[in-house]
This record gives sequence, structure tokens and C-alpha cells, in this order.
Amino acid sequence: MIIRLAWRSIWRNRRRTLITASSIGLGLTFAIFFISLSEGMYGQMIDQVVRMQAGYITLEHPDYRDAPAVDLWVAVPSEIRTEIEGWPGVEKTKLLVLGQGIAKSGAGNMATAIMGVEPSVEIQSSPLARNIIKGSYLETHDNPLVVVGCEMAERLNLRVGKKMVIATNDVNGMLVEELCRVKGIFKTGSEEMDAYFIQMPLGFARRLFRMPDESATQMGIILKNPDDQRRVLRKVQQKVSDFPVAVLSWQEVLPELASYIKMDKGSNYVFQGILIFLILFTIFNTILMSVLERKREFAMLLALGTRPGQLRLQIFTESIFLGLIGCSLGLIVGSLAAYLVHVFGIDMSTIMGESINISGFALTSKMYTKISPGIFLGSTTIVFIATMLLSLITMRHATRLSIVDTLR
Amino acid sequence: MSSIVNIQGLTKDYGQNGVVTHALRGVDLTIESGEFTAMAGPSGSGKSTLLNIIGGLDRPTTGRVEVNGQELNRLSSTKLSRLRRDRIGFIFQSYNLIPVLTVLENAEYVLMLQGVSAAQRRERVRDLLKEVGLEGMEDRFPRELSGGQQQRVAITRAIAPEPALVLADEPTANVDSKTAIALLDLMRQLNEEKGVTFFFSTHDPNVMKQARRLVLLRDGRISRDGGMVEGLDTE
Repeated sequence: MIIRLAWRSIWRNRRRTLITASSIGLGLTFAIFFISLSEGMYGQMIDQVVRMQAGYITLEHPDYRDAPAVDLWVAVPSEIRTEIEGWPGVEKTKLLVLGQGIAKSGAGNMATAIMGVEPSVEIQSSPLARNIIKGSYLETHDNPLVVVGCEMAERLNLRVGKKMVIATNDVNGMLVEELCRVKGIFKTGSEEMDAYFIQMPLGFARRLFRMPDESATQMGIILKNPDDQRRVLRKVQQKVSDFPVAVLSWQEVLPELASYIKMDKGSNYVFQGILIFLILFTIFNTILMSVLERKREFAMLLALGTRPGQLRLQIFTESIFLGLIGCSLGLIVGSLAAYLVHVFGIDMSTIMGESINISGFALTSKMYTKISPGIFLGSTTIVFIATMLLSLITMRHATRLSIVDTLR
Repeated sequence: MSSIVNIQGLTKDYGQNGVVTHALRGVDLTIESGEFTAMAGPSGSGKSTLLNIIGGLDRPTTGRVEVNGQELNRLSSTKLSRLRRDRIGFIFQSYNLIPVLTVLENAEYVLMLQGVSAAQRRERVRDLLKEVGLEGMEDRFPRELSGGQQQRVAITRAIAPEPALVLADEPTANVDSKTAIALLDLMRQLNEEKGVTFFFSTHDPNVMKQARRLVLLRDGRISRDGGMVEGLDTE
């Protein structure tokens, strides 16, 4: 009967119940949508950056992180690479040669990051290869052709087909120079990439740095689903345990990106926390009002012999119903909104241009949400528990009343 | 007959802003099982306070109050709550039915608190509703009933658990005189046929006439116990 009493009690003031349930639903909808959107944006940002660089998981020389240099190369046997590519969850592997140098043209010199890549892999997996704005992207045997960022092209007055010189130190520390031509100019939206990076075929990079065949400074692993990172990383560690290589996550390879996301997530949580707090305050007020205006009824129930615990149970059951109605509403609307943006995306290009630069990391202006049961159920659980905790506070008003004074 | 209520030297003071009000000033009262007793007195004479203390809703300042063999001063809140649930029935002036429950559900509420099975309580309550003239109205909500009908539901709720004592605080104050007499007839019938002990307060001389015993309260003291009601000035 307590369940029946609680269910009917919440509908005795239909408008207030609908307002309370809508407040809960609205709060949860906001929480689900904005968490999904921010997770989606982080996911997009990470995916774009790791695809352009050394993947979600990186294999490199154990000392490379301490002093990155081309002499700290690794040579992962091709059969291991082939095997890893066959694992579930792995989309592709890529070899990279990363080094530093000076790019020279008739217009001047610029420090540059030299990136030797496998063009056939990059075309399939890297956004950079799809962001060529002039000329075309590299092919495997394009010696000695390079693609450069639009900022660098402007500063060094480079155009497609123009010659430039790249000067660097080889694996033995000797100063080397190579003449090459610009095959394409890319624009990623990332200031760092567009002003600093030069890409060239892997073979050309090995020749430039005098590195052996099959060698690379990194082997990167691109995953189909970033959530598989930990599982695949463990598997790779086991697989290459006999080789002198370090297996690193993208968070270790790109600590500045990981820190930025961590910091941004923190401020997002604060913002969402404030939003939810304001909504919970509304919910608290309506629940409290419904309790206070029934004090006489509660006093009568206590007079009849209802134990305070039974009365608390009744009010708690009412809150459970309110929470369930509101959370169901929020879960349905929030999930639906998140799903639609996951499928169709939100195009922010009219407001933000073709790409957004966040702390040096480029992000396309079409934003997608990340949909995951964890986000949906986690947000729902938090809002539901918060509603229940609020009802615990209001309960005291119902059971700590003076029966005689209230009934008088 | 055994005594259901035994009160000795009961006082009750209320204090507010340093001003002490003596609501009861030394009440001695015994109510025997099966009695049908009315309590009259002017407003502020202490009728409701006395009923509240006997019902375990309020605590005395001094004195000894024994209900159904239990001294109320010695009972914890939980035990008082249990005593009210199991041994005392309450009828309020303004009915105090639960608006979201039907007639049947209101009437069986205390039985539900006692843990009586649904089938048993339905059977008992349906019989009682028939006796109080509410047959066929089991599924109605309080808002669909007249004042007299609502008070009949309240009476059914009070007597359904078969309490040792039913306390009624001006049960006929909110109904017309014809309905008031009908309600008193019903209470008296239940007293005579089922042996339910009633102790109720009233202002209405017509209602007092129905009682077999009349207790008159004035300025927190019992000024008269027993006798006929004719000629009494209760205001």
C-alpha cells in the first residue's frame, strides 16, 4: 500500500510533478548531451592528432623519449607488424622517421620537424593526407619530393614544384643536406603542423638520415576503437617483450595533448556540476514544498501509528518514482539528441571556420558526440542518486514534526 | 469491568515566550472498558489536551497516565507509536482521511500497518463498511463523499483494528445536526454491539445526550463527572 500511496501522492499535484520530472529530465538531458559532445570532441581531437603522428600505441627505442634523435631507431620485424595488423581492433600500423632540421629556400630558413612516412598508409589513415590544398600528396617512391604546411610555404615563399633544401644531422651526427621539391602544400588548421612540419616518403627520410632499411624511429598502431587501447597495448607489450623496444600509449607520447584534455575536462565538469546543481536546487524546492504542504497529513499518519521509518519510506518511494520518471525522460531525450549528433554531427563552420585550433591542436568544425552506455548510464545514475539524496534531506521535515502542534 | 484509562494528578503546562499556560491542573479520571463517555467543556478548557495525552500524542507535565495497563510516561516514542496503532483508535474533527486512497484503502490503513494480510483486512473492512452504511462506496475517494460519509470512513478506520479505546475529538463538529445524531447513533451501536470503548469530546448538547457518562472540564479541571446533560452551560 505504501507504493500505491506514494504513486498516487505524486499525482495529486500533477503540474508540480510534471515540473519536477521535467527539471530532472532536462538536467539529465543536458548532462548526457554535453558530456557526449565533449567526449566526442576530445575523441575527434585525439584521433586526428594520433593519426597524423605516432598512433594510439607507439613502439620506439627505450631511450627515445629522454633524448629524441634518429640514431635511436628500432626495426620491428615485418612479420610482427603483419600479425599486429591482423588483431581485432587494430586498423593499421605505420612506420615513421621523425627528426629535426632546417628548411631552406631563397626566401630564408626555418626550423622544421621532418617526418618520414609511408604514403600508402597515410592516405588511408591520416587527416593530413586529405588536407592538401595545393598540388598532391606523396606516393611511396616520390624521391626527393616533400609536402609542407601552408604557413611554412608562405614564410619560405614555396610553391608546388619549387626547390628547397633540407639540412639535418644524420645518425652519425654528420651534417647532411638534401635538395628536394615541393609536391604539395597542406593545411590542417593546427598552427604547429602547418608552420613546422615537412612530410616525405619513408625511403627518402632514411636516406636523408642515413638510417638502415627497415628502420624507423617509431612504429605507430592506429585503432578502430580508442577504447581498445589498454587491451591492445598489453597484448603488444607481451608480443614484443623480447625486443629492445618501449611500448607507449598516446598519452605518454603526446603528454601536452593529454594534459590539455585533462584540464579541459576538469573545467567542463565544474561547468556541468554548476548546471546540475542549479537544476537540483529546483528539484529540491519542489520536493520540499510537496512535503511541507502535507505536514498535517503526515502528522495524522503518525497519530494513527505509522512509524517514522514507514513515513520516510513513503516519501523516499515518492522520490524514487519522481526520479525514475525524470531520469527516464532525460535518458530518452538526452540519448536521442546525442545519437542524432553522433550520426549527423553539428556543423560549426559558419561560426568557427573550416577548422578550430585548440591549444595548437586542430579540430574539424563538424562536431560529433561520442555515444557510450557508460556516459548515458553514468549520468543517469548520478542524477538519480542526487535526487534521492535531496529527498533524504526533505524527509526530516516530515518525521520530526510535532503531531499535536501540526494537527491543532 | 476493567479500566482502560487510569489518570491520576495529571497536569499539562505550555510555555511560550516565558508565559506559562496551565492547560490541565490536576485531572483524575478512570474510564472502564465498554464505556461510552462524552467530555464537554468550554473552548480552552483542556479537552483536546486531555485526549492528546491519553492518545499518546502529547506528554504530561506531571501525573500518571495509564492506558490499557501501560504507563505512558515510561513508553518510548516507538512503543507509544505501537500502542496508538494497536490499542487506540482516533477519530478527528476534520476526518483526516488520506485523499489519494479510496474508502476501502483508508479504512484498512491501520490494519496494513499492523501487517494483517490483504485478504483478511479486506474481509474485515468490507463487513464494517456495510455496518456503517457505506456498502458500494468502497472504491470512492474522500472528495466524492459528504462530510458525514467521510466521518463514517474515519470511524471504520478507527474501529477496524479492534482497539481497546477509541478517542474522538469533536467528531460531529463539522457535520449538520441530523448527521451528528446519526454518527452518534452509529458510535453507540458499535459500543453496544461490539463493546468498543468510546471517549469523545463535544460542544453539542444533543450529542452529549447520547452519552452514558458525561465528564465536564472547566479551566483544566474536571468540574463534574457523570449525570444528565440537561441545563449544562458548556460555553
